[in-house]
Amino acid sequence: MDVIADRGEAAAGTRRLAFTFTGTAGAYFGIWIVNLLLSIVTFGVYTAWAKVRRVRYFYGNTWLDGHNFEYHARPMQILIGRIAVVAALVVYNLLATVSPFFVALILPYLVALPWLINKSFAFNARMTSYRNIRFNFIGSYWGAFRAFILWPFAAALTIGILLPLASRSVHNYIGNNLRFGTAAFATASPLRSLYRLWGFCAVFAAILLLPVGAAIYALIGRLGTPDQSAFGGFVVIAALFAYLGIFLVAISYRAGARNVAYSATTLDGVHRLASRVGPVRYVFILVTNLFAAMFTSGLMIPWGAVRTWRYLASHTSLIAAGPLDGFVDEAGLGGNVAAAEYFDVQGIEFGL
Amino acid sequence: MIEGRYFPPHSSRALRATLSGSFDTLELAVEGAERAVHVRVSAISDRLAGVPRKIAFPDGGVFETAHDADLGFLEVQNGGFLTFLSRIEGNYKAVIIATALCIAAIFGVYRYGLPIAAAGAAWATPQVVVDAIDYGTLETVDQTFFGETRLPETERTRITALFDTLLARAGPGVQAELLFRSGGPIGANAIALPGGTVIITDELAALAASDDEIAGVLAHEIGHIAGRHSLKQIYRVLGISFMIAVVGGDSSQLIGDVVTQASALQSLAYTREFEADADRYSVDLMVASRRNPVAFIDLLDRIVGTAKEEGDTDWFSTHPGNADRRAAVTRQAENLGWKKLQKNDETY
Repeated sequence: MDVIADRGEAAAGTRRLAFTFTGTAGAYFGIWIVNLLLSIVTFGVYTAWAKVRRVRYFYGNTWLDGHNFEYHARPMQILIGRIAVVAALVVYNLLATVSPFFVALILPYLVALPWLINKSFAFNARMTSYRNIRFNFIGSYWGAFRAFILWPFAAALTIGILLPLASRSVHNYIGNNLRFGTAAFATASPLRSLYRLWGFCAVFAAILLLPVGAAIYALIGRLGTPDQSAFGGFVVIAALFAYLGIFLVAISYRAGARNVAYSATTLDGVHRLASRVGPVRYVFILVTNLFAAMFTSGLMIPWGAVRTWRYLASHTSLIAAGPLDGFVDEAGLGGNVAAAEYFDVQGIEFGL
Repeated sequence: MIEGRYFPPHSSRALRATLSGSFDTLELAVEGAERAVHVRVSAISDRLAGVPRKIAFPDGGVFETAHDADLGFLEVQNGGFLTFLSRIEGNYKAVIIATALCIAAIFGVYRYGLPIAAAGAAWATPQVVVDAIDYGTLETVDQTFFGETRLPETERTRITALFDTLLARAGPGVQAELLFRSGGPIGANAIALPGGTVIITDELAALAASDDEIAGVLAHEIGHIAGRHSLKQIYRVLGISFMIAVVGGDSSQLIGDVVTQASALQSLAYTREFEADADRYSVDLMVASRRNPVAFIDLLDRIVGTAKEEGDTDWFSTHPGNADRRAAVTRQAENLGWKKLQKNDETY
């Protein structure tokens, strides 16, 4: 069915199974617009049902080896989680307006963050199933702390030089703690590949910063002259372009890092994942989606969503070392809905 | 009878199977099993374009069949509304109507719904909360840039008297209190806090060439208090964020970022709208108090200098440009008959 022989890359006895997406922009547009209308009319209450329909549509139309994925969260769970998150955010914002000293509340938030992340991953994993087996995520507090707080701080403090280490930490943490029923995933991202990718991106970033440097140099030479404000303007424009460019370079880095992480991931020790997302192509897709959305007042958003998902799915595959019907599930567990909804409401995405 | 696949409980193994009978007498026949088994349905997944239907049994086994399978024989009672929805989603005429309704709804909420909801929320906010915001903001500005006023007592008494007469004319519904501060890095300015506190800086008082100029500014600030602008602005911004979350919640990262930036521009537009309202209030109050309603624009001009770019309103301004304000204020004053007053009243 989905077996694609790939010019001898897969070893003997293995099958390369590509993910496929059978969703269409037309079908999803109907779902999306009805979601939107009902969400507005119900002042946001329907967004819980909308989310379940949307995720079920994308998961349900994603196929591997003739089977699709399924999302099991119930809308009421999602709604309660979202209300809890919105209430907390409103209270925090009101307190911050009353006195900026309440901003110190961010400290207990940072302390709770690794726990929140673990619970969120656990919920999303357990609500996802493939071939009647649910995924699972067993995290640890300090593992999450290292992956999501410690290493990102280190990367930021070193202006990105330690970024590959942070990427490796996150991907390994997620992969090593992800389960499919009783079977475990394992991720060991090679640092060399990450630094090679990082090298390319750093070169691009440096090229983007050259005009800014040149503009600043030219400005310094003209301080105090009537040309000062014009050259100051050049610096601002150059900085703006550099900022936008580096933002896009960062996205392409994440796509490349995803390739490295997936290709270093195994399931049950024998099956491997593979990812061949083109970093430049991926950024191109996102940017053209953005322009399409802007020029159609948002009506092309569902088209863009389908396009992105299809691209990612069709460039991801599983190299199966045998049949996939021997997996066994554990008895069902829950995970924390509010934690998962917090990250959704804040727009924090962890996956590609 | 429908055909499909059956997964035994907790297993990823898929076996061909058929499901037949009716709701009370369902029979599951799995390939390779000796005979059919009686089963009861514990849950059926909702109908959704392209997604196979899954029928779950109490023991954890699942029967999966095509997305468009006819499950009528199961007398499906649950999910009636959602099945109706999936039919609408697939019907292109209904989708076009839904799109038009959506656009109208978003426009309506954005233009009218949000301001009305913000006004309602402002009206419903308990005074305790508002006072807390005032207290907190005052603490902050006093700790950061405002210093103790250095205006002589006579000045302060005179200006407070001006303020009180204006306030009296504003009516019993408006409660406000005037405080004096040294402006520090802020310089000449006047601000109105949500709970009715009005702060005027020494630098502004010093730059004023006449009582009418200060009175115009004070009347403008009273206008903010009377219209509960600060509180409404807080709620409008909250409302925009909420709307973005509802409308754009599932869009890609890039689109979400762009929409958030655009909402900042809308917040500035709201601010300009409130400033224009406060100007209008000031003109009304000043004309009613038989004072020169346009004078305070002279003071504003002096504060801002005569730099050309400050005269224009643009997307990023928090206030309409002074040129626009002068035109609007003069027009309104003339409509109220101020020019005539000016000619007849010889104390001007």
